[in-house]
Order: sequence, then structure tokens, then C-alpha cells
Amino acid sequence: MSAVLATFGRELRAYFLSPLAYAVLFFFLLVNGVIFSIIVSYLIDPRVPAGMQPFAPFFGTVVWWQLVLVPLITMRLIAEERRSGSIEVLMTAPATEGQVVTGKFLAALAFYLFLWLPTLAYPAFVELYGEVDWGLVAGGYAGTVLVGAFFLAIGMVTSALTRSQLLAALAGAAVVMLFIFVDAAGGLATAQGTQEAVGYVSVLSHMDELGRGVVDSRRLVFYLSGVVFFLFVAARMLEERKWR
Amino acid sequence: MIEAHELSRRYGPFTAVDRISFSVAEGEIVGILGPNGAGKTTTIRMITGFLPPTGGTVTVGGRDLFTEPRKARRDIGYLPENVALYTEMRVREYLAYRARLEGMRRTDARRALADTIDRALLGEVADQIIGTLSKGYRQRVGLAAAILHQPRVLVLDEPTVGLDPRQIIAIRELIRELGRERTLLLSTHILPEVELLCDRVLIIDGGRIVAQGTVADLHQRWLGQASVRVEIQPGSASAVEVAEVLSAVPGVTAVRPVADDGSPHLWQVEAAGGADPRAEIFRAAVEQGWVLLGLAEERGTLEDVFVHLTTREEIAPAGTGSEAPPPASGAPGELPS
Repeated sequence: MSAVLATFGRELRAYFLSPLAYAVLFFFLLVNGVIFSIIVSYLIDPRVPAGMQPFAPFFGTVVWWQLVLVPLITMRLIAEERRSGSIEVLMTAPATEGQVVTGKFLAALAFYLFLWLPTLAYPAFVELYGEVDWGLVAGGYAGTVLVGAFFLAIGMVTSALTRSQLLAALAGAAVVMLFIFVDAAGGLATAQGTQEAVGYVSVLSHMDELGRGVVDSRRLVFYLSGVVFFLFVAARMLEERKWR
Repeated sequence: MIEAHELSRRYGPFTAVDRISFSVAEGEIVGILGPNGAGKTTTIRMITGFLPPTGGTVTVGGRDLFTEPRKARRDIGYLPENVALYTEMRVREYLAYRARLEGMRRTDARRALADTIDRALLGEVADQIIGTLSKGYRQRVGLAAAILHQPRVLVLDEPTVGLDPRQIIAIRELIRELGRERTLLLSTHILPEVELLCDRVLIIDGGRIVAQGTVADLHQRWLGQASVRVEIQPGSASAVEVAEVLSAVPGVTAVRPVADDGSPHLWQVEAAGGADPRAEIFRAAVEQGWVLLGLAEERGTLEDVFVHLTTREEIAPAGTGSEAPPPASGAPGELPS
């Protein structure tokens, strides 16, 4: 446990000590602010039917954000330790691969949540001038956390693949892309079985459901088991270095 | 404290470490000496549990590194070859992180931190960012981190590599200090380091132990034989004649011409057991009526032993077995068969 906490603390600190984190934070908030203001100005247009919720399109961007955020947040985590050789210290300490991976993942997730935290101000603003369906907002944020955790865990795997951060980032982005395009592929499929299978892994439609307030326990199982599975894979990959 | 038994490591078809066995007693300071690529780092990585051996076993403090890794690792403090620190952290932060990684309790960690910063003389830089420190200071930080949890065994891989002479002296000082109260295993390719710091030396080459013993032992075993350079006036005798006569001198074990062209006037003569054959050579020369121009004794340094042991295969030309010293008899188990 203490190894998980030590790794978590050190990685979280590393995020806030690196200029990259602030650059990510800055552009993330800038772009999100612009998106949100576009959504709001659209909604206050008198031609738009009253009663539409501004947050459905806002949460619709969450999956696309993964494409940028996941590589940036996770690429360093394991690849850098392997490149610099600090992994030697880490792996000769009385800590297991699983503990190290878990600590790093939790730090990545914490930083991810920190990025989204300021966006809570958006519904608060809307509440000032109108009415917010907080249930839908809660659903959207739940999706944001689940989808983020899922892809960050995948990012742990891609970071464990190589000692090059760039390669880790590219691989991470490629996997996110794959999940996005599975949705389009599902639209083309005619067989019902294929459509169901695609529906099970289609993050875009899951986010859409959650944004409409539909909480399905199958989704929860999918994301949580996904996180556990990919962290397990990352830990095994870290162990694999021993046999080369 | 450290027991390695038939330890081997292969990378694909390449054997980096080939069935080496040795032990290090509690409180001993042992140096692993070898040229680059001899298998020092691989050996050390197996002892610290970073790399699993492909054959053999290693225990530290009686615990196997791979069946009881967490307990065994607690006994080991390790400074890897490339001291990779997190350069964005401050020294104190980094040490606190390492203490927690080792699973130390908060109060213990705090005490150990203050104590270690003192001992490694890091007080002045404790609040500096590691990235701004000199290589010497970084090495100190690495050493401090390795001893934080009070390990009984300290393993250092090339602790002075890349430092300037003053930093080297300071780090050696610190190592010697740390070696007073714990078992210490260090690898190096710098000979004086071994002579200065170590009770015992393992010389590794090509993944095998080619010699081991105390520094004094090695001196005696490998340098016990004196080497004498003999210069005879040109024209005194033919090469064959000289070789024959010199070889017959009592105590002489090897005779060979210094120059490659076989010119008969400069010779290297080796004698066993530390005997000084100069008087006998002089007498022999007088008997033959040669004019002796020079007769000088040459004693080797540990450097010669090392060069000798680690380069014999490449250098000794086929057929001249004379270069290899007689394997020490009556020292069982000290030479690989």
C-alpha cells in the first residue's frame, strides 16, 4: 500500500512540476470554454426550440478529448522510467509491478479529474440564468470519469510498450481512434450480432446514453473491468522486461 | 550475507554471466573488477533482484531474491550504474519518496532522512532541485537514497564513473565510511579503487570469475614471479643459444625475446616464487663470455594482473604459452576449471 501511495504522490507531483501539465491545462480550458460558449450562444438563439439542454453536446466532446489527453497524460509514465533507467530503482525496491502501475494510474486519473474540475463552473453559470438538469450533468460527468479511466488504463499499456514517449503517445492515440471508429463500423454492419457487439464497446454511444441520463450497469462493468484488465496487462509488460 | 551459486544469465544466444559462484561474508567489502562488458552489471542486477538469473540461485541475508523478493530486497541498498534520479524533484523530496517506496513508517522515515542527509553531506543542497546538481552531488543523492532504509547490504555499480578526481575522492571517502558497518559489494573497472576500498576482489571476464582473493593474495599469486629484463651486447651469441642458456638458469620459468624480430639482445625472463634470478643470470652470462649491458628487475602492479587475466586470450599468440603464469597450485576452487 505504501508503495502505491509513494508512486501516486511522486507522479502527481511530477505532473504539477512539469510545464507540459500547465500547457495542457491552459489549452484544455481555453478550447472547452470556446466550445461551451458556442453551445450557449446557439441555445439562446430565439430560433432554437426552448428547453434544450446545453450539456448533451458538451459531453459529446469527451470521447474526442481522449484522443489528445490520454497520450499527453500517460506517455511519460512508464516509457520515461525505462529510458532514464530509474526503473531499476523502482523494481529493486520492495514494491510489485502491480503496485507501481496502480500508483501511476491513480496519479494519471487524478490529473485528468483535475483538468475537468473547472468545467463544473459551466453548469453553475447556466444555473444562474436558467435551469439545469443536474441528473443529466451528473450522468455526463460519470461518463467522463469512466471513459477517462478506461483510456488512461490503455495509455498505461502503451507507455509500457516502449521506452520512447513519442511512440507511446502515438500508440495510445491510435487505440483511442480505434474505439471511436468502431462506432462508425457498427453503423455499417447489418448483422444484428455485430451491431450488439459494437454497441458493447462503442464509447461514443455510451457517452450519449449517459448524457441522456441512461445509466446501464453493463457499461459500468465494461469500463471497470476494462481498467482492471489493462492495468494487469501493463504490470505484466513491466515484468516482461526481465526476460529479454 | 550474499551467496551466489552457479549464477548464469543469457540474453538470447549470448551468455553474459556464465555459472559464477561466490559469497560475501557479513561486514566484508568486496569488489567486482572487470573490463567493460565482462558481466559486472548483469551480475549485480541479478544480486539486487532486477534481473532474474537464467540459471543458478542468489540469496541475500539467507533469502532468495526471486522467491522472497520483498523481504530480500529490504536488506539491499542499491546504487545502479546510471544513477537515474527524478531531476525535477528536490533532494529532500526525492529522499522522502524513496523512504516511502521502501515502506518505511513516517516517523522512521523522517529520522532516517535527517540522519542520511547529514551523513552524505547533503545539507547544503537538500532543498535544491536535483536537475541543478553536479554529477558528484547526484551520486551522493543516489548513495543517500540507497542507505535510507538501513540495508544490511549495500550494492554499488561503478559508483565513481564519470566523476572528476576531487568528486571521486569524496565519494570514495563516503563509501569507505558506509562500508564500516555493513556488507558492501561494488563493481568497478578502476583498479586503485579496489585496492583502496576492498577486502577482497573478484575479477570477472567474459562472464566468469577468472580470479578471486584479497588484494594482497592477488599480488602474491600473480606478481610473485619477478620479471627481469636482460640486455646482452649484440653479437655475443645467437638467439637460440641465449634462450637455451637463460632457460637453464635455476628458478627461471620463461624466457622470451622482447623484440618481435627475434633480435638476440633484449630478453624478458620470468622466475617463479618471487625468487630473484639476477645473480644467476649474471654468472651464466659471464660463463658464456657474453657482455651484459643491462639486468633490471620489473615488478608488476595490480594493473598488470588485471590486464594479464582479462586479455590473455586475445594477446597471447598461439604457441607461446610462456605468457600465462603457472596456475596457482594448492588454491582449490579459486580458478574456474
